[in-house]
Amino acid sequence: MSDKGGRSKVFFHWLIAISIFFLFLSSWWMLALPLPSENFTYRQLPFQLHKNIGITILAVTTYLLATRSFKVRRKSLSSITKPGRLRDRVHQSIYFLIALCCISGYLSSSYSGWGTTIWWVVDLPSWADESDSLNIFFSDLHLWSCWVLLSVIVGHIGVALYHAFRNDQDTDEMYRW
Amino acid sequence: MSIKEGNNANIKWIGVTSVLFGVLLLANHGNEILRQSVIAPGVAIESAADCRPDELEEENLSLRECQLMVSNVQIVLASSPSWFRSVSICLYLLGFVSALLSLVFGMRFVSSPNSAQRPLRASFVSLVAIDLLIFVAVSTTGPLLRSIYLWPNLLWLFIHLALLAAVLSYNSESAQEVN
Repeated sequence: MSDKGGRSKVFFHWLIAISIFFLFLSSWWMLALPLPSENFTYRQLPFQLHKNIGITILAVTTYLLATRSFKVRRKSLSSITKPGRLRDRVHQSIYFLIALCCISGYLSSSYSGWGTTIWWVVDLPSWADESDSLNIFFSDLHLWSCWVLLSVIVGHIGVALYHAFRNDQDTDEMYRW
Repeated sequence: MSIKEGNNANIKWIGVTSVLFGVLLLANHGNEILRQSVIAPGVAIESAADCRPDELEEENLSLRECQLMVSNVQIVLASSPSWFRSVSICLYLLGFVSALLSLVFGMRFVSSPNSAQRPLRASFVSLVAIDLLIFVAVSTTGPLLRSIYLWPNLLWLFIHLALLAAVLSYNSESAQEVN
């Protein structure tokens, strides 16, 4: 895969992979930090970073999904095999789950009353009034969608390893830069 | 026995496994750098936790858990020697860079093992060295920090040692026969 589009796909795939694992690990840790107060501001940086990375992942996922659906539309449906169709659906569900995690997290944050500054540069407008019930609802949705995403990712990695160890070249393109 | 001698051995697994563990290690070291940056000495750690009922409900926490979250930070601050934070940040930054290199060269190893073998070996040598340095640094602190860091660190050390051994045992001449 030497084309520019292929390279950017590989780059973004691994960037998203690193970011998602970082978000899981850091969120498990940061949620054990003391609740915010005048004396304890430990959560400020990790939460702001968490939101920044999440919003960036959402932007990248949207770009990948757009380029993917453009490519699929160009391919004739008859040329896609049954396993290929299954693989496409699994990948689409991963994209959907990533987007759901990011959007639910952002909505939860919006209803919590805490502002969001993208990469400490751009202040996102505060469009929602503080609402505990909506914050809890989207926070729960964020939590459960993340657990589902993690389980799908574990399956995705398992299948990718299986193909790589079988040496059937199904996953080789994701290692070519 | 080198990997060459194993009939039909697929040496691609070395690159693929390097990439997988590279991704996980980047996340791990990134989190450690964040942890060391956030939990800095000088903050009023003796203050009582602010556990408002609405926050407890939102976070699904008991009052006791909320109070103990402060102890969580106190444990790290009280048991870290003055040099620990700066040394840790340096070591984890070096580990982060080495993990990134192991990921990049692991990817290259899948398609071109001959050209990637040396840089991949070098990145695993540095990762093993960094794991050992972290192990030594943590083992000189008290039991509280040792209980947090030593075991995960030992696991990473063995993972990197195993991958280093695999890269060392790879014989470039075998690639032509196998692939």
